[in-house]
Amino acid sequence: MTPLPFLALAWITLLLVSGCRSKPEVVTEVAPCCRKLLTNTPASDRSLFQLDSEWTSDLGKTIRLGTLRGHPQVVALFFSHCEFACPLLVARMKAIEAALPPSGRKDAEFLLISIDPDRDTPAALHAYRARQGLSLRRWTLLTGGSGSVRELAALLGVQYQRDARGQYAHSNLLTVLNAEGEVVHQSSGLRAEVDDLVAAVVRLSPPAH
Amino acid sequence: MTVFAHARSVRLVLHACLLMAVVLSERACGGSTAGMSLLPAGNYRPLFRATNDPETQTVASFWLDRTPVTRGQFLDFVKACPKWRRSRVIRLFADTSYLSDWKADLDPGIDKDPQVLSRPAVQVSWFAARAYAEWRGCRLPTTPEWERAAAEGFLLAEGLKEPEFRTALARWYGSAAPEVLPLVGSGRATLHGIHDLHGLIWEWTEDFNSSLVTGDSREDTGLERQLFCGAGSVGARERSDFPAFMRAGFRSSLRSPYTLSNLGFRCALSAKP
Repeated sequence: MTPLPFLALAWITLLLVSGCRSKPEVVTEVAPCCRKLLTNTPASDRSLFQLDSEWTSDLGKTIRLGTLRGHPQVVALFFSHCEFACPLLVARMKAIEAALPPSGRKDAEFLLISIDPDRDTPAALHAYRARQGLSLRRWTLLTGGSGSVRELAALLGVQYQRDARGQYAHSNLLTVLNAEGEVVHQSSGLRAEVDDLVAAVVRLSPPAH
Repeated sequence: MTVFAHARSVRLVLHACLLMAVVLSERACGGSTAGMSLLPAGNYRPLFRATNDPETQTVASFWLDRTPVTRGQFLDFVKACPKWRRSRVIRLFADTSYLSDWKADLDPGIDKDPQVLSRPAVQVSWFAARAYAEWRGCRLPTTPEWERAAAEGFLLAEGLKEPEFRTALARWYGSAAPEVLPLVGSGRATLHGIHDLHGLIWEWTEDFNSSLVTGDSREDTGLERQLFCGAGSVGARERSDFPAFMRAGFRSSLRSPYTLSNLGFRCALSAKP
Protein backbone atom coordinates (compact mmCIF):
# COMPACT_ATOMS: atom_id res chain seq x y z
CA MET A 1 0.00 0.00 0.00
CA THR A 2 1.35 3.46 -0.86
CA PRO A 3 1.93 6.04 1.89
CA LEU A 4 -0.86 8.30 0.66
CA PRO A 5 -3.83 6.23 1.94
CA PHE A 6 -2.07 5.90 5.27
CA LEU A 7 -1.71 9.67 5.52
CA ALA A 8 -5.33 10.15 4.51
CA LEU A 9 -6.42 7.66 7.16
CA ALA A 10 -4.36 9.42 9.78
CA TRP A 11 -5.91 12.78 8.93
CA ILE A 12 -9.43 11.32 8.95
CA THR A 13 -8.72 9.73 12.31
CA LEU A 14 -7.51 13.02 13.77
CA LEU A 15 -10.56 14.82 12.38
CA LEU A 16 -12.94 12.22 13.82
CA VAL A 17 -11.24 12.32 17.17
CA SER A 18 -11.23 16.11 17.30
CA GLY A 19 -14.95 16.10 16.52
CA CYS A 20 -15.70 13.93 19.53
CA ARG A 21 -13.60 15.39 22.26
CA SER A 22 -15.15 17.75 24.75
CA LYS A 23 -11.87 19.43 25.61
CA PRO A 24 -8.70 19.95 23.59
CA GLU A 25 -6.28 17.18 24.31
CA VAL A 26 -3.96 15.19 22.11
CA VAL A 27 -5.41 11.71 21.61
CA THR A 28 -3.33 9.54 19.38
CA GLU A 29 -5.77 6.62 19.28
CA VAL A 30 -9.47 6.75 18.40
CA ALA A 31 -12.00 6.31 21.21
CA PRO A 32 -14.24 3.32 20.41
CA CYS A 33 -17.40 5.43 20.00
CA CYS A 34 -15.67 7.60 17.43
CA ARG A 35 -14.71 4.78 15.07
CA LYS A 36 -16.11 4.58 11.58
CA LEU A 37 -18.76 1.91 11.09
CA LEU A 38 -17.29 -1.22 9.54
CA THR A 39 -19.40 -2.29 6.60
CA ASN A 40 -17.37 -4.95 4.84
CA THR A 41 -18.58 -8.35 6.07
CA PRO A 42 -22.13 -9.24 7.16
CA ALA A 43 -22.80 -9.65 10.88
CA SER A 44 -24.15 -12.98 12.01
CA ASP A 45 -27.75 -13.68 12.86
CA ARG A 46 -26.88 -13.67 16.55
CA SER A 47 -25.09 -10.36 16.60
CA LEU A 48 -26.31 -7.68 18.99
CA PHE A 49 -25.03 -5.20 16.40
CA GLN A 50 -28.20 -5.87 14.43
CA LEU A 51 -29.98 -3.55 16.82
CA ASP A 52 -30.59 -0.19 15.21
CA SER A 53 -31.15 1.60 18.51
CA GLU A 54 -29.22 4.84 18.94
CA TRP A 55 -27.00 5.62 21.90
CA THR A 56 -25.08 8.68 23.01
CA SER A 57 -21.61 8.31 24.47
CA ASP A 58 -20.15 10.39 27.27
CA LEU A 59 -18.12 12.09 24.54
CA GLY A 60 -21.35 13.33 22.99
CA LYS A 61 -21.28 11.04 19.96
CA THR A 62 -24.51 9.38 18.84
CA ILE A 63 -23.88 5.87 17.57
CA ARG A 64 -25.42 2.53 16.95
CA LEU A 65 -23.85 -0.44 18.73
CA GLY A 66 -22.41 -1.63 15.42
CA THR A 67 -19.80 1.10 15.66
CA LEU A 68 -18.05 -1.06 18.27
CA ARG A 69 -17.72 -3.92 15.84
CA GLY A 70 -14.27 -5.36 15.33
CA HIS A 71 -13.27 -5.60 19.01
CA PRO A 72 -14.43 -8.00 21.72
CA GLN A 73 -16.47 -6.17 24.35
CA VAL A 74 -16.93 -6.76 28.06
CA VAL A 75 -20.36 -5.32 28.78
CA ALA A 76 -22.22 -4.32 31.91
CA LEU A 77 -25.42 -2.44 32.57
CA PHE A 78 -25.06 -0.04 35.48
CA PHE A 79 -26.08 3.36 36.74
CA SER A 80 -23.79 6.03 38.19
CA HIS A 81 -25.90 6.62 41.32
CA CYS A 82 -25.65 2.99 42.26
CA GLU A 83 -24.88 2.69 45.95
CA PHE A 84 -24.31 -1.00 46.09
CA ALA A 85 -22.83 -3.38 43.61
CA CYS A 86 -22.05 -1.33 40.51
CA PRO A 87 -18.70 -0.14 41.89
CA LEU A 88 -17.83 -3.81 42.38
CA LEU A 89 -19.01 -4.64 38.89
CA VAL A 90 -16.78 -1.94 37.40
CA ALA A 91 -13.93 -3.14 39.60
CA ARG A 92 -14.35 -6.62 38.12
CA MET A 93 -14.10 -5.13 34.66
CA LYS A 94 -10.95 -3.23 35.60
CA ALA A 95 -9.53 -6.44 37.00
CA ILE A 96 -10.18 -8.12 33.68
CA GLU A 97 -8.46 -5.25 31.90
CA ALA A 98 -5.41 -5.57 34.15
CA ALA A 99 -5.29 -9.34 33.87
CA LEU A 100 -5.33 -9.47 30.08
CA PRO A 101 -2.05 -10.35 28.37
CA PRO A 102 -0.63 -7.60 26.13
CA SER A 103 -2.18 -9.00 22.94
CA GLY A 104 -5.61 -9.37 24.57
CA ARG A 105 -5.42 -5.99 26.20
CA LYS A 106 -4.80 -4.28 22.87
CA ASP A 107 -7.93 -5.70 21.37
CA ALA A 108 -10.56 -5.93 24.08
CA GLU A 109 -12.82 -3.05 25.02
CA PHE A 110 -15.17 -2.31 27.86
CA LEU A 111 -18.74 -1.09 27.53
CA LEU A 112 -20.89 0.42 30.27
CA ILE A 113 -24.49 1.20 29.47
CA SER A 114 -26.70 3.09 31.87
CA ILE A 115 -30.12 1.85 32.93
CA ASP A 116 -30.85 5.29 34.37
CA PRO A 117 -31.00 7.55 31.30
CA ASP A 118 -32.78 10.34 33.19
CA ARG A 119 -29.82 11.00 35.45
CA ASP A 120 -26.98 9.49 33.43
CA THR A 121 -26.66 12.18 30.82
CA PRO A 122 -23.48 12.21 28.71
CA ALA A 123 -22.01 14.80 31.07
CA ALA A 124 -22.81 12.70 34.13
CA LEU A 125 -21.24 9.69 32.47
CA HIS A 126 -18.15 11.70 31.59
CA ALA A 127 -17.77 12.73 35.22
CA TYR A 128 -18.18 9.07 36.20
CA ARG A 129 -15.43 8.11 33.75
CA ALA A 130 -13.12 10.66 35.36
CA ARG A 131 -13.95 9.46 38.90
CA GLN A 132 -13.33 5.87 37.94
CA GLY A 133 -10.26 6.56 35.83
CA LEU A 134 -11.53 4.73 32.74
CA SER A 135 -9.34 5.14 29.67
CA LEU A 136 -10.79 6.85 26.63
CA ARG A 137 -9.04 4.36 24.41
CA ARG A 138 -10.80 1.27 25.74
CA TRP A 139 -13.91 2.23 27.65
CA THR A 140 -17.21 3.30 26.13
CA LEU A 141 -19.98 4.75 28.28
CA LEU A 142 -23.42 4.99 26.69
CA THR A 143 -26.86 6.32 27.49
CA GLY A 144 -30.02 5.79 25.45
CA GLY A 145 -33.82 5.85 25.45
CA SER A 146 -35.62 3.71 28.02
CA GLY A 147 -37.08 1.47 25.30
CA SER A 148 -33.62 0.85 23.84
CA VAL A 149 -32.23 0.05 27.28
CA ARG A 150 -35.09 -2.35 27.99
CA GLU A 151 -34.45 -4.03 24.64
CA LEU A 152 -30.71 -4.41 25.13
CA ALA A 153 -31.18 -5.64 28.70
CA ALA A 154 -33.68 -8.18 27.43
CA LEU A 155 -31.16 -9.43 24.86
CA LEU A 156 -28.40 -9.74 27.44
CA GLY A 157 -30.69 -11.35 30.00
CA VAL A 158 -30.30 -8.53 32.52
CA GLN A 159 -33.24 -7.86 34.79
CA TYR A 160 -33.80 -4.49 36.39
CA GLN A 161 -36.43 -2.58 38.27
CA ARG A 162 -36.61 0.95 39.60
CA ASP A 163 -37.73 1.61 43.13
CA ALA A 164 -39.51 4.67 44.49
CA ARG A 165 -36.21 6.27 45.54
CA GLY A 166 -34.81 6.10 42.02
CA GLN A 167 -32.44 3.29 42.90
CA TYR A 168 -32.41 0.32 40.59
CA ALA A 169 -32.33 -3.30 41.53
CA HIS A 170 -30.58 -5.12 38.70
CA SER A 171 -28.72 -8.28 37.81
CA ASN A 172 -24.98 -8.23 38.39
CA LEU A 173 -24.09 -9.65 35.03
CA LEU A 174 -20.98 -9.28 32.92
CA THR A 175 -21.20 -10.28 29.28
CA VAL A 176 -18.41 -10.91 26.80
CA LEU A 177 -19.22 -10.19 23.16
CA ASN A 178 -16.93 -11.26 20.36
CA ALA A 179 -15.84 -8.83 17.65
CA GLU A 180 -19.05 -9.60 15.76
CA GLY A 181 -21.26 -8.70 18.71
CA GLU A 182 -22.33 -12.24 19.61
CA VAL A 183 -22.63 -13.21 23.28
CA VAL A 184 -19.91 -15.76 23.98
CA HIS A 185 -19.72 -15.73 27.78
CA GLN A 186 -21.60 -14.40 30.76
CA SER A 187 -20.76 -14.25 34.43
CA SER A 188 -23.09 -13.43 37.30
CA GLY A 189 -22.15 -12.27 40.75
CA LEU A 190 -19.63 -10.08 42.46
CA ARG A 191 -16.87 -12.47 43.44
CA ALA A 192 -13.32 -11.27 42.93
CA GLU A 193 -12.09 -13.94 40.51
CA VAL A 194 -12.37 -12.99 36.88
CA ASP A 195 -10.42 -15.90 35.39
CA ASP A 196 -13.33 -17.24 33.38
CA LEU A 197 -13.98 -13.83 31.86
CA VAL A 198 -10.30 -13.18 31.13
CA ALA A 199 -10.05 -16.59 29.46
CA ALA A 200 -13.14 -15.87 27.39
CA VAL A 201 -11.68 -12.56 26.19
CA VAL A 202 -8.25 -14.03 25.46
CA ARG A 203 -9.85 -16.73 23.31
CA LEU A 204 -11.32 -13.98 21.15
CA SER A 205 -8.16 -12.00 20.57
CA PRO A 206 -6.06 -12.65 17.49
CA PRO A 207 -2.80 -14.47 18.20
CA ALA A 208 0.22 -12.23 18.73
CA HIS A 209 2.39 -11.89 15.64
CA MET B 1 -25.62 -7.97 1.86
CA THR B 2 -23.76 -6.26 4.66
CA VAL B 3 -25.44 -5.98 8.02
CA PHE B 4 -25.70 -2.22 7.84
CA ALA B 5 -27.16 -2.19 4.35
CA HIS B 6 -29.48 -4.85 5.72
CA ALA B 7 -30.37 -2.59 8.64
CA ARG B 8 -31.14 0.25 6.26
CA SER B 9 -33.31 -1.90 4.06
CA VAL B 10 -34.98 -3.27 7.17
CA ARG B 11 -35.81 0.30 8.15
CA LEU B 12 -37.24 0.90 4.67
CA VAL B 13 -39.32 -2.25 4.92
CA LEU B 14 -40.57 -1.17 8.32
CA HIS B 15 -41.62 2.22 7.01
CA ALA B 16 -43.29 0.53 4.06
CA CYS B 17 -45.08 -1.77 6.50
CA LEU B 18 -46.36 1.13 8.54
CA LEU B 19 -47.59 2.89 5.43
CA MET B 20 -49.27 -0.24 4.10
CA ALA B 21 -50.78 -0.95 7.46
CA VAL B 22 -52.35 2.50 7.63
CA VAL B 23 -53.71 2.23 4.09
CA LEU B 24 -54.88 -1.37 4.09
CA SER B 25 -55.84 -2.18 7.62
CA GLU B 26 -59.17 -1.18 9.02
CA ARG B 27 -58.24 -2.18 12.52
CA ALA B 28 -56.50 -0.26 15.26
CA CYS B 29 -53.51 1.44 13.67
CA GLY B 30 -51.97 4.70 14.63
CA GLY B 31 -53.37 4.79 18.15
CA SER B 32 -56.98 3.70 17.59
CA THR B 33 -58.64 2.13 20.61
CA ALA B 34 -60.93 -0.29 18.76
CA GLY B 35 -61.23 -3.53 20.73
CA MET B 36 -59.87 -1.92 23.88
CA SER B 37 -61.34 -0.89 27.23
CA LEU B 38 -60.33 2.20 29.14
CA LEU B 39 -59.15 1.33 32.61
CA PRO B 40 -59.33 4.22 35.07
CA ALA B 41 -56.35 5.04 37.26
CA GLY B 42 -55.94 2.35 39.83
CA ASN B 43 -53.71 0.83 42.43
CA TYR B 44 -51.04 -1.74 41.90
CA ARG B 45 -49.63 -3.52 44.88
CA PRO B 46 -46.18 -4.65 43.78
CA LEU B 47 -45.37 -8.18 44.74
CA PHE B 48 -41.79 -7.23 45.43
CA ARG B 49 -40.77 -3.89 46.70
CA ALA B 50 -37.93 -2.25 48.61
CA THR B 51 -38.53 -1.79 52.34
CA ASN B 52 -39.12 1.93 52.15
CA ASP B 53 -41.26 1.86 49.02
CA PRO B 54 -44.99 2.52 49.41
CA GLU B 55 -47.19 -0.57 49.47
CA THR B 56 -49.31 0.59 46.59
CA GLN B 57 -48.38 2.39 43.43
CA THR B 58 -50.78 4.33 41.29
CA VAL B 59 -51.15 3.18 37.73
CA ALA B 60 -52.39 5.94 35.44
CA SER B 61 -55.47 5.38 33.30
CA PHE B 62 -54.76 3.41 30.12
CA TRP B 63 -56.39 1.43 27.33
CA LEU B 64 -56.04 -2.34 27.25
CA ASP B 65 -57.04 -4.89 24.62
CA ARG B 66 -60.14 -6.75 25.75
CA THR B 67 -58.66 -10.01 24.55
CA PRO B 68 -55.18 -11.26 23.75
CA VAL B 69 -53.93 -10.72 20.22
CA THR B 70 -55.30 -13.49 17.98
CA ARG B 71 -53.57 -15.53 15.33
CA GLY B 72 -55.69 -13.77 12.73
CA GLN B 73 -54.39 -10.41 13.88
CA PHE B 74 -50.83 -11.69 13.98
CA LEU B 75 -51.31 -13.04 10.45
CA ASP B 76 -52.24 -9.54 9.27
CA PHE B 77 -49.04 -8.30 10.87
CA VAL B 78 -46.70 -10.83 9.23
CA LYS B 79 -48.44 -10.28 5.89
CA ALA B 80 -47.62 -6.59 6.19
CA CYS B 81 -44.14 -7.06 7.65
CA PRO B 82 -42.23 -9.88 5.93
CA LYS B 83 -39.22 -9.71 8.21
CA TRP B 84 -41.39 -11.15 11.00
CA ARG B 85 -42.43 -14.19 9.02
CA ARG B 86 -41.24 -17.49 10.39
CA SER B 87 -38.80 -18.21 7.58
CA ARG B 88 -37.22 -14.76 7.73
CA VAL B 89 -37.13 -13.81 11.38
CA ILE B 90 -33.73 -12.90 12.79
CA ARG B 91 -32.70 -15.63 15.21
CA LEU B 92 -31.60 -13.05 17.77
CA PHE B 93 -35.19 -11.85 18.05
CA ALA B 94 -37.04 -15.15 18.13
CA ASP B 95 -35.98 -18.70 18.93
CA THR B 96 -36.47 -21.74 16.73
CA SER B 97 -40.01 -22.38 18.00
CA TYR B 98 -41.29 -19.08 16.67
CA LEU B 99 -44.74 -19.72 15.15
CA SER B 100 -43.79 -23.38 15.05
CA ASP B 101 -47.39 -24.55 15.08
CA TRP B 102 -48.21 -22.62 11.91
CA LYS B 103 -48.30 -24.61 8.68
CA ALA B 104 -46.36 -22.00 6.73
CA ASP B 105 -45.25 -18.36 6.89
CA LEU B 106 -48.74 -17.13 6.08
CA ASP B 107 -50.84 -20.11 7.14
CA PRO B 108 -51.78 -20.59 10.80
CA GLY B 109 -53.45 -23.88 9.84
CA ILE B 110 -57.00 -22.97 8.84
CA ASP B 111 -57.55 -26.28 7.04
CA LYS B 112 -57.00 -28.32 10.15
CA ASP B 113 -58.79 -25.88 12.43
CA PRO B 114 -61.31 -23.46 10.90
CA GLN B 115 -61.43 -21.36 14.07
CA VAL B 116 -57.69 -20.99 14.46
CA LEU B 117 -57.72 -17.28 13.59
CA SER B 118 -59.68 -16.56 16.77
CA ARG B 119 -57.31 -18.38 19.07
CA PRO B 120 -54.64 -16.45 20.94
CA ALA B 121 -51.36 -15.87 19.11
CA VAL B 122 -48.68 -17.86 20.91
CA GLN B 123 -45.11 -18.98 20.13
CA VAL B 124 -44.19 -15.33 19.73
CA SER B 125 -41.15 -13.72 21.32
CA TRP B 126 -41.10 -10.45 23.21
CA PHE B 127 -39.48 -8.75 20.22
CA ALA B 128 -42.22 -10.02 17.90
CA ALA B 129 -44.91 -8.89 20.33
CA ARG B 130 -43.37 -5.42 20.53
CA ALA B 131 -43.00 -5.24 16.77
CA TYR B 132 -46.68 -6.12 16.39
CA ALA B 133 -47.65 -3.46 18.91
CA GLU B 134 -45.52 -0.86 17.15
CA TRP B 135 -47.05 -1.81 13.79
CA ARG B 136 -50.49 -1.36 15.25
CA GLY B 137 -49.60 1.99 16.82
CA CYS B 138 -49.81 0.70 20.38
CA ARG B 139 -47.43 -0.85 22.86
CA LEU B 140 -47.19 -3.70 25.33
CA PRO B 141 -48.65 -3.05 28.79
CA THR B 142 -46.15 -2.57 31.60
CA THR B 143 -46.17 -5.12 34.39
CA PRO B 144 -47.88 -2.69 36.82
CA GLU B 145 -50.57 -2.01 34.21
CA TRP B 146 -51.10 -5.70 33.53
CA GLU B 147 -51.23 -6.60 37.21
CA ARG B 148 -53.56 -3.70 38.00
CA ALA B 149 -55.95 -4.99 35.35
CA ALA B 150 -55.54 -8.57 36.57
CA ALA B 151 -56.42 -7.61 40.13
CA GLU B 152 -59.98 -6.79 39.08
CA GLY B 153 -62.72 -9.33 39.68
CA PHE B 154 -65.95 -9.84 37.79
CA LEU B 155 -67.82 -7.28 39.86
CA LEU B 156 -65.32 -5.76 42.29
CA ALA B 157 -62.18 -3.73 41.73
CA GLU B 158 -60.40 -6.11 44.12
CA GLY B 159 -61.04 -9.55 42.74
CA LEU B 160 -59.55 -11.32 45.76
CA LYS B 161 -62.49 -10.03 47.81
CA GLU B 162 -64.95 -11.83 45.51
CA PRO B 163 -65.51 -15.49 46.38
CA GLU B 164 -66.67 -16.42 42.89
CA PHE B 165 -63.60 -14.82 41.32
CA ARG B 166 -61.29 -16.47 43.83
CA THR B 167 -62.78 -19.84 43.00
CA ALA B 168 -62.31 -19.22 39.29
CA LEU B 169 -58.68 -18.19 39.93
CA ALA B 170 -57.97 -21.33 41.90
CA ARG B 171 -59.47 -23.45 39.15
CA TRP B 172 -57.53 -21.70 36.40
CA TYR B 173 -54.13 -21.70 38.07
CA GLY B 174 -54.63 -25.17 39.41
CA SER B 175 -55.25 -26.87 36.10
CA ALA B 176 -53.04 -27.68 33.16
CA ALA B 177 -53.35 -25.79 29.90
CA PRO B 178 -55.52 -27.56 27.31
CA GLU B 179 -53.80 -28.83 24.19
CA VAL B 180 -55.96 -26.68 21.96
CA LEU B 181 -56.36 -23.21 23.39
CA PRO B 182 -59.92 -21.86 23.52
CA LEU B 183 -61.05 -18.93 21.39
CA VAL B 184 -60.20 -15.55 22.86
CA GLY B 185 -63.02 -13.89 24.73
CA SER B 186 -64.76 -17.14 25.64
CA GLY B 187 -64.12 -16.58 29.34
CA ARG B 188 -66.17 -14.21 31.47
CA ALA B 189 -65.08 -10.56 31.35
CA THR B 190 -63.92 -8.76 34.46
CA LEU B 191 -65.10 -5.40 35.75
CA HIS B 192 -64.03 -3.29 32.76
CA GLY B 193 -64.77 -5.78 30.03
CA ILE B 194 -61.36 -7.43 29.89
CA HIS B 195 -61.27 -11.15 29.07
CA ASP B 196 -58.69 -13.85 29.51
CA LEU B 197 -56.21 -12.20 31.87
CA HIS B 198 -56.44 -15.46 33.78
CA GLY B 199 -56.91 -18.98 32.61
CA LEU B 200 -55.94 -18.75 28.96
CA ILE B 201 -52.28 -17.92 28.37
CA TRP B 202 -49.36 -16.18 30.04
CA GLU B 203 -48.73 -12.75 28.56
CA TRP B 204 -45.65 -10.67 27.74
CA THR B 205 -45.27 -7.24 29.29
CA GLU B 206 -43.00 -4.42 28.21
CA ASP B 207 -40.83 -4.74 31.32
CA PHE B 208 -41.08 -8.49 31.91
CA ASN B 209 -37.40 -8.40 32.85
CA SER B 210 -38.07 -6.26 35.90
CA SER B 211 -39.02 -9.40 37.79
CA LEU B 212 -36.18 -10.27 40.16
CA VAL B 213 -37.37 -13.48 41.74
CA THR B 214 -34.51 -15.82 42.45
CA GLY B 215 -36.00 -18.53 44.60
CA ASP B 216 -38.62 -21.18 43.93
CA SER B 217 -40.34 -20.88 47.23
CA ARG B 218 -42.68 -18.21 48.53
CA GLU B 219 -40.28 -17.95 51.44
CA ASP B 220 -37.60 -16.52 49.19
CA THR B 221 -38.33 -12.90 49.75
CA GLY B 222 -34.99 -11.17 49.63
CA LEU B 223 -32.77 -10.38 46.68
CA GLU B 224 -29.89 -12.75 46.28
CA ARG B 225 -27.13 -10.24 46.98
CA GLN B 226 -24.52 -11.76 44.75
CA LEU B 227 -26.81 -11.86 41.76
CA PHE B 228 -28.68 -8.62 42.18
CA CYS B 229 -27.78 -5.10 43.20
CA GLY B 230 -30.64 -3.55 45.08
CA ALA B 231 -31.69 -1.39 47.96
CA GLY B 232 -33.04 -2.63 51.23
CA SER B 233 -34.78 -5.96 51.33
CA VAL B 234 -36.96 -6.22 48.29
CA GLY B 235 -39.53 -8.64 49.52
CA ALA B 236 -42.86 -10.25 48.74
CA ARG B 237 -45.92 -8.53 50.12
CA GLU B 238 -48.55 -11.15 50.37
CA ARG B 239 -47.90 -14.79 50.00
CA SER B 240 -51.56 -15.67 49.74
CA ASP B 241 -51.77 -14.13 46.25
CA PHE B 242 -50.33 -17.27 44.79
CA PRO B 243 -51.26 -16.50 41.16
CA ALA B 244 -49.39 -13.19 41.34
CA PHE B 245 -46.40 -15.02 42.75
CA MET B 246 -46.58 -17.56 39.97
CA ARG B 247 -46.72 -14.83 37.36
CA ALA B 248 -43.74 -13.01 38.86
CA GLY B 249 -41.77 -16.24 38.97
CA PHE B 250 -42.76 -17.07 35.43
CA ARG B 251 -41.77 -13.65 34.10
CA SER B 252 -38.48 -13.96 35.90
CA SER B 253 -37.70 -17.13 33.98
CA LEU B 254 -38.40 -15.61 30.58
CA ARG B 255 -35.81 -14.40 28.12
CA SER B 256 -36.77 -12.07 25.31
CA PRO B 257 -36.35 -14.42 22.34
CA TYR B 258 -38.28 -17.26 24.01
CA THR B 259 -41.44 -18.51 22.38
CA LEU B 260 -43.82 -20.79 24.25
CA SER B 261 -47.02 -22.56 23.33
CA ASN B 262 -48.94 -20.85 26.15
CA LEU B 263 -47.33 -17.41 26.05
CA GLY B 264 -48.93 -14.62 24.05
CA PHE B 265 -49.68 -10.95 24.60
CA ARG B 266 -52.11 -8.10 24.27
CA CYS B 267 -51.68 -4.41 23.54
CA ALA B 268 -52.07 -1.26 25.58
CA LEU B 269 -52.20 2.44 24.87
CA SER B 270 -51.63 5.37 27.18
CA ALA B 271 -54.76 7.43 27.79
CA LYS B 272 -54.57 10.99 26.59
CA PRO B 273 -54.48 13.33 29.61
